[in-house]
Amino acid sequence: MHLSVKDVRGIATYARIGLSDEEVEAMTVDLNNIIESLKPITEYDLEGVEPTFHPIAGLSNVMREDVVQSGLSREEALANAPSQQEGQFRVLPILGDGGGDR
Amino acid sequence: MTGADYSSLGVADIQAGLAAREFSACELARAAFERIEAEDEHIHAFLETTFELALKAAQRVDEALGEGLVPQQIGALAGVPIAFKDNMNQAQTHTTCASRMLKDYVAPFTATCVSKALEAGALPLGKLNMDEFAFGSSTETSSFGPTSNPWDLDRVPGGSSGGSAAAVAAGFATVALGSDTGGSIRQPASFCGVVGLKPTYGVVSRYGVVAFGSSLDQVGPFGKTVADVAVTLDAIAGRDPQDCTSQRIEARFSDFLDAGVKGTRIGVVPAFLEAKGVEAEVVHATTEAIAHLEELGAQLVEIELPNAAAALAAYYVIGPCEAFSNLSRFDSVRYGYREDGGRDLGEQYEQSRAHGFGPETVRRIMLGSYLLSSGVYHMYYYPAQQVRTLITQDYAQAFEQVDALITPVSPRAAFKFGEIADPTSMYLSDIFTIPINIAGNGGLSLPVGLGKTSGLPLGVQITGPQFKDENIIRVAAALESCYPNIARLAPSLGEKRARFEGGVR
Repeated sequence: MHLSVKDVRGIATYARIGLSDEEVEAMTVDLNNIIESLKPITEYDLEGVEPTFHPIAGLSNVMREDVVQSGLSREEALANAPSQQEGQFRVLPILGDGGGDR
Repeated sequence: MTGADYSSLGVADIQAGLAAREFSACELARAAFERIEAEDEHIHAFLETTFELALKAAQRVDEALGEGLVPQQIGALAGVPIAFKDNMNQAQTHTTCASRMLKDYVAPFTATCVSKALEAGALPLGKLNMDEFAFGSSTETSSFGPTSNPWDLDRVPGGSSGGSAAAVAAGFATVALGSDTGGSIRQPASFCGVVGLKPTYGVVSRYGVVAFGSSLDQVGPFGKTVADVAVTLDAIAGRDPQDCTSQRIEARFSDFLDAGVKGTRIGVVPAFLEAKGVEAEVVHATTEAIAHLEELGAQLVEIELPNAAAALAAYYVIGPCEAFSNLSRFDSVRYGYREDGGRDLGEQYEQSRAHGFGPETVRRIMLGSYLLSSGVYHMYYYPAQQVRTLITQDYAQAFEQVDALITPVSPRAAFKFGEIADPTSMYLSDIFTIPINIAGNGGLSLPVGLGKTSGLPLGVQITGPQFKDENIIRVAAALESCYPNIARLAPSLGEKRARFEGGVR
């Protein structure tokens, strides 16, 4: 086993996904199986091999003029928000006070 | 025009018919919806249909024809019914990515690939089912139920662009767009017996297409023929200021349809045909296709891709890491599913993401979260990018010797629903398609008839050098001519019923 249940709970917190105890158990099995299948990566002799982060070589950065363009209106930007108030996205308290959505 | 008459038409048939006034674009749109209404209940290719938008586009085409324009003057896809994978934003339609997370999301803008197709005169029929956020090879991970393979309703259409392949195979859409991160266009094209092309990374803009693996994702077309795919790619390809990885494309792909393969060098990869788990009928079909190419005058060259075997592992590092990063945007604040009742914002994120995402999506995010965590990064992520260099070099060296490669698409024909339950076994569906995404090249699945054992459609994969996708079109079109009698369309429900005497699900 690479990962313990406790490890998986930590990974879930990092990924901001709230898993139940049962889900954490199942996920631990799945992740360990998948990680086992990634083994070929760890067995390669990669001494001196440069990494490739982008598939197309030889490209240079693309620059453009800094021109003002119209984007979404406030109304359009808010149209899909689950909760909004006074033209803004509404969220729960960030630090948490147990008071819920005020 | 009936839905059945419409279903067999290709792009050239539509343009000839419109030019000769045999039918109008509005009649085409109505016939397409007649076909969809009659059959999609059993196939479930569409998540949303947009009859009004299609009819409006058709009216514009008919008006232009009425003013004396010929279809090509209106646009390369004038009057051609098209449908889009549901990870492509199209203003006024939902973009769900087949996820509960985006069930109610209505796009405020349009993806460049979609707007280019619409500017070319295509008629938008609707949005197509897929694996949730494109994580899967069967459409079984869709939050809204899977799509059935039009050839056999008990089988998957492949994935993740399963709805796109099924919509073309069932004769709903003349052409469709999909996206391909590890095989998501080519494998479903193979399973459904249609043509599907993933161009070189950078040929088509990704702007407005919900990102999965940003260094791997590429948009491409599906059609019944290589010609339909080439003309659709011509319409959507090219540089887009909104996607700085998109490139200027000089070639007109449809100019290469009749170029033939005489004198070209085509690579075969013996190791792929000897790989474990490849069905005999797949080996047979690929070998037959290779023989056809030789008869047509191509010179065959044996190619080794020594590092391709590690592509699957590299992909299951790189893909989930990029997905983990991309899917962090789903925060239940600006858009997307929100689970109420949390105590604070952190809990709201966690509950909304846990219940908005399906199991495979959660699995990929979790895997990426682990692989990018400190200490682990240097064990997997960084070496995977080094392995990527080796794989890319393999392909670059291969294409110094040959103009194109021919390999299988998938180790087997379409499987039954639920047949592959284990995630790591499912991942093996893509062993021949994934290396191409890792290397950034283009690849196409060409149908070569029904498997000797399974009786189901099989495809072969033609791949080409980076930004030489015209080679792919050229080889695929030549090879296609060796299969004049294969069905371009799955049997309709009526035909299937007659054949199985009511045994259709």
